[in-house]
Amino acid sequence: MNQTDRANRRSSLFAWALALPMPIWQTLFFVAALLFLVVMSFWSVQNFRVTPDFTFDNWIKIYSAGYFRVTYVRTVLYALLAATLASLIAFPCAYGLAFKASPLMRRIVVASLIMPYFTSYLVRANSWKILLTDQGVINSVLGTVGLGPLPMTSNLFAVMIGYLTLILPIVILLQYFSLANVDRRLIEAAHNLRCGRVRTVFQVIIPSARTGLILAATFAFILSFGDFVSPSFLGNNKPPTLTVLMVDAVKSGSQWPRAAVVALTMVATLLLVAFLAMNFAYGEKRKRP
Amino acid sequence: MAEPLLVLDGVVKRYDDHTAVHKIDLEIAAGEFIALMGPSGCGKTTTLRMIAGLEAPSEGEIRLRGRRMNDVAPWERDTPLVWQSLALFPFMSVLKNVEFGLKMRNIPAAERTKKAMPWLERVGIAKYRDRKVDQLSGGERQRVALARALVTEPEILLLDEPLSALDAHLVIRMQAELKQLQQQLGITFCYVTHSQSEAFAMADRVAIMAEGRLQQVGPPREVYRAPANRFVAEFVGANNLLSGKVKSIAQGIVMVETAAGIMRARENPLLALLPSDMVTVVVSADRAVVSDSAADGENSLSGTVIGEQFVGAFVTLHLDLGDGRTFRAQLQQHALEPLGQVRGKRLSLRWKPEHTVLLKDK
Repeated sequence: MNQTDRANRRSSLFAWALALPMPIWQTLFFVAALLFLVVMSFWSVQNFRVTPDFTFDNWIKIYSAGYFRVTYVRTVLYALLAATLASLIAFPCAYGLAFKASPLMRRIVVASLIMPYFTSYLVRANSWKILLTDQGVINSVLGTVGLGPLPMTSNLFAVMIGYLTLILPIVILLQYFSLANVDRRLIEAAHNLRCGRVRTVFQVIIPSARTGLILAATFAFILSFGDFVSPSFLGNNKPPTLTVLMVDAVKSGSQWPRAAVVALTMVATLLLVAFLAMNFAYGEKRKRP
Repeated sequence: MAEPLLVLDGVVKRYDDHTAVHKIDLEIAAGEFIALMGPSGCGKTTTLRMIAGLEAPSEGEIRLRGRRMNDVAPWERDTPLVWQSLALFPFMSVLKNVEFGLKMRNIPAAERTKKAMPWLERVGIAKYRDRKVDQLSGGERQRVALARALVTEPEILLLDEPLSALDAHLVIRMQAELKQLQQQLGITFCYVTHSQSEAFAMADRVAIMAEGRLQQVGPPREVYRAPANRFVAEFVGANNLLSGKVKSIAQGIVMVETAAGIMRARENPLLALLPSDMVTVVVSADRAVVSDSAADGENSLSGTVIGEQFVGAFVTLHLDLGDGRTFRAQLQQHALEPLGQVRGKRLSLRWKPEHTVLLKDK
């Protein structure tokens, strides 16, 4: 072996050493954890103690329980609603940012969209309580004019507020980035072919930004679907979502194996949703012969 | 003459920091093929965009069939444009692209296809109707862009350097096809280009622009043979410019004293020249007769051949006149052959006074 070969080998070893920690971390704390979750879903709980076992009991119990099925459908629908609401609310803002705002304005708004993430989402969701509870700011003001109190916590409204707090800034940012990449010349071409302003949004801008818009909505769905903060702190577990169910299973009776079943169901659901969304986002392009 | 189809009446376009178009007056007749030609940054594309309504004139008026267009939105005009970038919709099939203009007029789907298909056939892309546009070659995409613009049967078609992205051999073919198409349809083509060969090959009239101003408007031959000013003379074709001072004028011939000797030029009464006026004598490269006999007296120069551009039947010789200037002479290959190997050789140039054009210097 000559000198250069040795040097090459040393530098490739060095590259490996730098690259390895991440795969190791992922293997230990994600892949291994996931596998452990699968294993644990077949264990049983005896006298409030998790015991290694091989039983389909947990799967049967959870899947035959009416409350699980209702909660599953509810969680999917909530996440869908949150993704739809966020996409609709975000679009005019992202559109304005991409096509109307001055460069300075754009920088200010983008910064202000990143800023919420300086503070933990847990804190932000909790601070909504100051506004929303029966004794909160809004109901106090309403009370002085003889109205209310309006129920704004422990319901769908509260959960949606929480979800939107989590996802809206990121949905706006993702939509903005995809709209900013839309070829302006296509917009002019549409105008030139008698396509008015509003029609151009639907005929040219949305189809051009399609991939990014779908990815933004998918992100919103994934974040909402797995969120525990909003349904528990703002929704007060009423009505519960899958994350609430999962935590409940652990808290009341140490049902770790049943929580594992719920968790695995959620992982499978998200994988399916991500797969479908990718197909939908890139589908048109894949049809190429 | 009937009312022209399109009138630009003192049109000015100013931006914050510069003026792109200074007061343009231009009339475009129905059914004519006009080329707006000039170097990049001359304002030709801005002018075209104002006709399409994508830019608003700062001053002046644009009239289409006598109707003031200044405040008409681009989507309320019938001035389809074929873009330099083509600007085809990548998320639509070829057919959907071509149908787009019809869809915007709310024509039902079945009728749209019925109207679009003959255009696809006409430009020879019918077999690609269901393909995505990024699966087509440059030439095919060009045809989609043409069909998309023509499908609504406009009176005027605007073209912004549509051939600039194509291979040279395709450009020649598309030029012939475009000209033929324009004649068959009998509609107005307003064609922006920086290429003289493109403009001259197709246009009935060319409008030459520089620095936001119209320099000369006329049929290609007229512009070529009688350039109106130095800019046009230098921009079109291979003209040689000799500066000098008027010495005398007699019997339709102007004697001009230049650095290279006395030149006799055909008088242009419109210039109303007086002795000692500063003028430029323009000698077209194809008007100079090249020989290896010595230069003799007036309208004659000699120079050393420093370059030779051979394009098939034609050759352009670059001759160094000895004072740093070069003279271009164009001749047929067969006329050059008797002279043998010419590079480095000293040759003489000769031309007739009636083959010159005189320009008055400002």
